[in-house]
Amino acid sequence: MEDLKELKKIEQYADQCMKCGFCSFFCPVYQEEKEETAVARGKNYLTKLVLKGEQEFTPKMGEIIGKCLLCKRCVAMCPAKTQIDRVVVGARAQMVRNKGLPFIKNFAFRKVMANRKAFGRYVKLASKFQWLMPKTEGKVRHLPDFLKALGQGRNIPEIAKVFLRDKVKRVNKPQNGKEPKMRVGYFMGCATDFIYPELGEKVIDFLTKRGIEVIVPEEQSCCGAAIYFSGDFETGRMLAEQNIKAFQDVDYIVTACGTCSSTLKDYQKYLPDNEDQKKRYEAFEKKIKDMTEFVIDVLKIPPEEFKLKKEFEGKTATWHDPCHLIRYQNIKDQPRAILKALKGLKYVEMPNADLCCGMGGSFSVYHYDITKKIADKKMDGIKATGADIVVTACPGCMINLIDNTLRSKMPQKVYHLLELVE
Amino acid sequence: MIKESVIAELQKIVGKENVKTEKETLKAYSYDGTTSWEHEPDVVVFPTTTKEISEIMKLANKEKIPVTPRGGGTNVSGGSIPIMGGIILCTTKMNKILKIDKENLTATVEPGVVLQDLTIRLGKEGLFFPPDPQSFLGATMGGIIAENAGGPACVKYGVTKQYILGVEVVLPTGEIVNLGGRTLKNVVGYDLLHIFISSEGTLGVITKAELKLNPLPQARKTIMGVYDDVAKAGENVFRILENGVIPGKIELLDNWVINRIEEMMPMGLPKDADAVLLFEVDGIPEAVEKETQKIVEIAKKYGATDVRVAPDQAEADKYWTARKAGFAAVFGKAKTVFAEDVTVPRGQIPALINKCKELAKKYNVEIVVLGHAGDGNLHPAILTDINNKEHYDRAVKAMDEIIEGAVDLGGVLSGEHGIGLEKQRFLKRQLEPAVIDMMKKIKALFDPNNIMNPGKIWE
Repeated sequence: MEDLKELKKIEQYADQCMKCGFCSFFCPVYQEEKEETAVARGKNYLTKLVLKGEQEFTPKMGEIIGKCLLCKRCVAMCPAKTQIDRVVVGARAQMVRNKGLPFIKNFAFRKVMANRKAFGRYVKLASKFQWLMPKTEGKVRHLPDFLKALGQGRNIPEIAKVFLRDKVKRVNKPQNGKEPKMRVGYFMGCATDFIYPELGEKVIDFLTKRGIEVIVPEEQSCCGAAIYFSGDFETGRMLAEQNIKAFQDVDYIVTACGTCSSTLKDYQKYLPDNEDQKKRYEAFEKKIKDMTEFVIDVLKIPPEEFKLKKEFEGKTATWHDPCHLIRYQNIKDQPRAILKALKGLKYVEMPNADLCCGMGGSFSVYHYDITKKIADKKMDGIKATGADIVVTACPGCMINLIDNTLRSKMPQKVYHLLELVE
Repeated sequence: MIKESVIAELQKIVGKENVKTEKETLKAYSYDGTTSWEHEPDVVVFPTTTKEISEIMKLANKEKIPVTPRGGGTNVSGGSIPIMGGIILCTTKMNKILKIDKENLTATVEPGVVLQDLTIRLGKEGLFFPPDPQSFLGATMGGIIAENAGGPACVKYGVTKQYILGVEVVLPTGEIVNLGGRTLKNVVGYDLLHIFISSEGTLGVITKAELKLNPLPQARKTIMGVYDDVAKAGENVFRILENGVIPGKIELLDNWVINRIEEMMPMGLPKDADAVLLFEVDGIPEAVEKETQKIVEIAKKYGATDVRVAPDQAEADKYWTARKAGFAAVFGKAKTVFAEDVTVPRGQIPALINKCKELAKKYNVEIVVLGHAGDGNLHPAILTDINNKEHYDRAVKAMDEIIEGAVDLGGVLSGEHGIGLEKQRFLKRQLEPAVIDMMKKIKALFDPNNIMNPGKIWE
């Protein structure tokens, strides 16, 4: 009998499913595939068979469990409240436990991403070869055909010349020179560090302007989303420990990446292996705030204090809900409140604002064809609003939205919410 | 086991990518929405045209391979489970809405169209398809027609069979035939169309359907009646109807369900009420106002302790969310739930509810009642656990007696779910032997080799 430690942990969640099949309506992957193995009910059923010893982790099983965006749309709508995300992640963790990681992921997660300095070096190295990729527009490059194996002809953002970590100070005092009213740790996240350093500077500027001291610990690492959602709990826990250690003695830990904020909060949900870890991860969760909720719920900045940057005056904006904000953290009203508070900007709600953009982290690397089909639906929603700009608060979504607006030859530009604010 | 050569033939018909034989996929097509039945097919096939389905049926008929049609797999009678193995003919990739005809108030659809997708599309045109099985998020039109599905809207609008004008069908022998037509009236020969509606996939595969639509009502209002005795709620239902108001829906929640909903999401439902009725009236605004007043008046006159009219749509949505949460509440509380769908003449609702209460005591099991009180279709749900044999056996006995009781009250053992596998053993209790014999002869006429969804309806 194989050890089923990780699966045992999620057995109670898998048991919740009553097989009603309502998840099929909300699953972006099923909507494209129209096959039972694509939908939550199928994945859950097969995982239960593994628990019963009637199914093994075959390669096909790996493919089925892998083909999930973890967008949690099915979880939000499930009448039986089945937490299918836990089941899928648990099954992936069990697979990694039993079979190890595939070579590429093993290298990427453990040798590159888990070591922030090494990660930076690899990204830097990659940036030296950026000229190989023709520029599509502005700071976006198009992966040519010979790199199809990696990106399948997609538009990826240019890697920054200077990374955020090399630009910012560790301690950033309030700009008014007074005693800080709060000490906040800033978690930058990989995409902000390597691709959008201006966003990170913006966060620090925004907070220090408001009398907050911002600490940017150098020891912080990757949040671990791609790693632990792929089932590599071992590396995930290592990163959790590292990040918890990096952020001591702060009132809050903020980030402007929806995926990072949810991933840091959810260490306690997916990763604990014992009571001690659970307790510490839970304590860590309480300090994490996404920037959107931090400015509205904690700082309680009144609407009149949000000022629109000049370049956006007269523009029409629409909002894309990142899965990691709306469903992982129930952050829905806060970003809309900010957008609606910006005088001079017209806000239009997108008909399918909460639909996943199709990125799903490494999902899009393995299933780029499905990603594109899901993104097409998102693009239809954007087009229907007549907006000039698409606003969101997750660099992961931004990367995918940029790729797909360009691919669909749409005029809309994609921005992080904070980029609009003075 | 299915022969390799048959798989190769199937691949030739629908393309390699639409034929699945991996063990994992077969397992994922071994179930539907029921809890007690599972059986793997030998192959899953995804046709995309009527012609392909015809070819598949010819092949299966020649090789005498069972074929079970399946759409979204939301069935709650076991009807789409391939109990004899063979081919699962899955229609989910035939999901086009071919035509919406506003002039004639009709739509033409493929069998794999999901009801909710249709509802959204029709809504944009100011139209709707009234039958509303509560599996609308996953249920496909082929299955809805084959099961003659119904839902809350039945009180005023009826069930699926009243909204199907015609179907294109592939017979088990592979022939393609058209039954019914496109007109509201049609008396040309025997009404074979209605033999197909509720045939549970045992006579052929529906490949196209002509639907009758209604214009969307301009206004709606929701009213909640509160009762200290469930029997009074039952009486209220027919008092309102006899006084000339036909609400769009009349739904019932019992005390247990009310309290579970309040635990899950407190919304101010009266926790000490024995039962709550939710009414929805719809139509032109002036009529809706008048009907609302009338319901309030009659409900109070016949014993409602409180009657609330939802002041706006948001409040109304809250009440209906509660109704939907009813099932979640039930499912969340037990490992296994028997969701019955016995139906009695409306006047017998109080008697049926009392019967359920009595059986809950007799067998010491939790029996919860919610359902479409407006049409006499109740869903007594028995909470049990399939892994706890002793408890499960008691639950089965209670279920058997509920069904017996419904039939004794002049009702039927299934109002909307169908017989499938789940209720086969009760068929004889309801139908005379000669009737079952006629059904078998009809089946043999359409399907001489008994390959079409075999093993269903009768034992």
